[in-house]
Amino acid sequence: MPGLDPGIHARRNVPSDGVDGRVKPGHDGWKGVNDMKTLFLGGLAARVAPRILGKMTEKLDPTLLAELTDMQRLIPALAEAEIVVGHIWRSDFPEAPRLRLLQAATAGVDMLDLPSLPRGITLCNVFGHEPAIAEYVLMTMLALTHRLVDTVTAFRGGSWAAHQPAGGSAHGEALGKTIGILGYGRIGREVAKRAVGFGCTVIAANRSPIADKGDASEIYPLAELDRMLPQCDVLLIAAGLAPETQGLIDASRLSLMKPTALLINIGRAAIVDEEALYEALRGNKLGGAALDVWWRHWSPEHPDRRPSRFPFHELPNVLMTPHCSGFTDGTADRRWGNLAANLDRFVRGEPLNNVVMTT
Amino acid sequence: MKALFLGNVAADTQVGIRDELPPGLDTVILPDPQDLFRSPELAADADILVSNHWGAEYPPAPRVRLVQSVATGVELFDLAALPRGAAVCNAFGHETAIAEYIIMTWLALHHRLFEIAGDFREHGSWRTSWVESGAPHGEVRGSTLGIVGYGRVGREVARRAAPFGCRILAANRSAREPEPGVERVFPLGELDRMLPECDTVALCTALGPETTGLIDSRRLALMKPSAFLINIARGQVIDEDAVYAALRDGTIGGAALDVWWQYPTPAEPQRRGSRHPFHELPNVIVTPHNSGWTSGMVRRRWDEIADNINRFARGEPLINIVTTT
Repeated sequence: MPGLDPGIHARRNVPSDGVDGRVKPGHDGWKGVNDMKTLFLGGLAARVAPRILGKMTEKLDPTLLAELTDMQRLIPALAEAEIVVGHIWRSDFPEAPRLRLLQAATAGVDMLDLPSLPRGITLCNVFGHEPAIAEYVLMTMLALTHRLVDTVTAFRGGSWAAHQPAGGSAHGEALGKTIGILGYGRIGREVAKRAVGFGCTVIAANRSPIADKGDASEIYPLAELDRMLPQCDVLLIAAGLAPETQGLIDASRLSLMKPTALLINIGRAAIVDEEALYEALRGNKLGGAALDVWWRHWSPEHPDRRPSRFPFHELPNVLMTPHCSGFTDGTADRRWGNLAANLDRFVRGEPLNNVVMTT
Repeated sequence: MKALFLGNVAADTQVGIRDELPPGLDTVILPDPQDLFRSPELAADADILVSNHWGAEYPPAPRVRLVQSVATGVELFDLAALPRGAAVCNAFGHETAIAEYIIMTWLALHHRLFEIAGDFREHGSWRTSWVESGAPHGEVRGSTLGIVGYGRVGREVARRAAPFGCRILAANRSAREPEPGVERVFPLGELDRMLPECDTVALCTALGPETTGLIDSRRLALMKPSAFLINIARGQVIDEDAVYAALRDGTIGGAALDVWWQYPTPAEPQRRGSRHPFHELPNVIVTPHNSGWTSGMVRRRWDEIADNINRFARGEPLINIVTTT
């Protein structure tokens, strides 16, 4: 799923040197003549399975199962699966005695019920969305600063009000702005690399210590977030959802921010207190927001469901997108390519990339 | 020494730079130029003229030695009506804002921002969401950006675009060395070789004989059908009929237009920017010539103007000299 940065969350279970773990998948007894039983589980994995398989050099024995509640098919499929590709694992899933690799189809692993995973498996996630999301962050920061949507909407209607000779007021620019990044992982670094080209200062707060600051000028420990917030012209939430980040940006922290500050969330909605953010934006306690992640999501029963119990869509200073910031054609190529390469590594018994944990 | 600030923009400028002006400078501020006819002596002893225009019908200003434009363009000054030997200087400061506008619209066109954000806001549509299996949008990474006019704005665009991991080409009237990140600067005469390579063409050139009508139907046809065109230069750099047809028919993928072929007049304040309904095309981002109109631009421009007036007062070399009358 796009929008999840591993900076705070996923790193928790990665070996202390901070690089990918080197886990030798155990598949003793596996015979080369039998291709590995691989279950592409859930709508997303089932849909992209042909693209992943098409990028692999090794062969698998794939099963595609889009519907997680189809127990008649799920029980036998999990009983024999050695690899599962998917982004959801529920506590009520049937036994998976032969499972060795759970390859998440997303960067975020917050939809996997980690305590109920079988013992002795390796969990990997997958990346490739960082450039796309970094582009989204710069785009929305510029659009909010330059008041792009308002200007275009008025001009489409025939109004030159924003034109200087017509008495239009000047808009803002990114130059000189301070961007504070909550969760300084892969996405945050990509954002910083681009933002410094605009003459922005980048600071960040991260749960674990950061050795290489990249393009950021200062990194705060998460406990000192309150020192960072008042400095930010833009607060970018690029953290994953974890006990430390759930509800982290609440009413009191929002009140530490400048009344002109922008909040951009591509991490997870639940990091921000829904009501507090709505009230801050409605009362002009914040300058604006760009929100790509939401408290409520689409479901087959509610295909046009509003993404919050508050009418963010009625606020003029909010740019809202349906959790698609990382969903570019380039992300798909990188992500399914990386995922296919990891499955190839597993089949060949090579060290895996992007190991989140072993159970 | 006396400075005449003539017109609305110059009057605003005087307020902005009041504290930076040379001590002892005598300033006269006329927001309404018509007042000059009632008090012609205000022109007669001015050493410095700060304005965005000068007319042949105005009372003589024989002592003026510095003509400081409050804008980049000096086409509204009737230079023949000013005394010989005056330095005509302009002001910049808009490069940053316009470069940001180009990067912003370059991203918005690739990411289909207006379509996606509009659908989600208006209808709650999750159609373009990721897990919900919509079609992916584009990204600028790996794409080719062609900058026509590799001057102050063009170079600022290239500096900001390079970290996005794109390929950058440029074309310029005079020969220019590419800065790091720019693969090549074509002579303008070889523009036809650059256009087919580009996923986006950003027009940052001045309007002149070589650039009027530069992007015509033939050159639009050289571009990729998916390509985006961004214009912050002048409307007349593009053939109006040809680009409307190309956008309507999908000969090119989309556009962001900040400059227009016609502008509002006092008699027609709501006049559209074109005789064609660009505002009805879904693949066009339209803005009312305000890409450079930021608070930062105003401050930078004021600082340049104040700097030049101080240089003139101290007898030092001037900056931003366009010509001498």
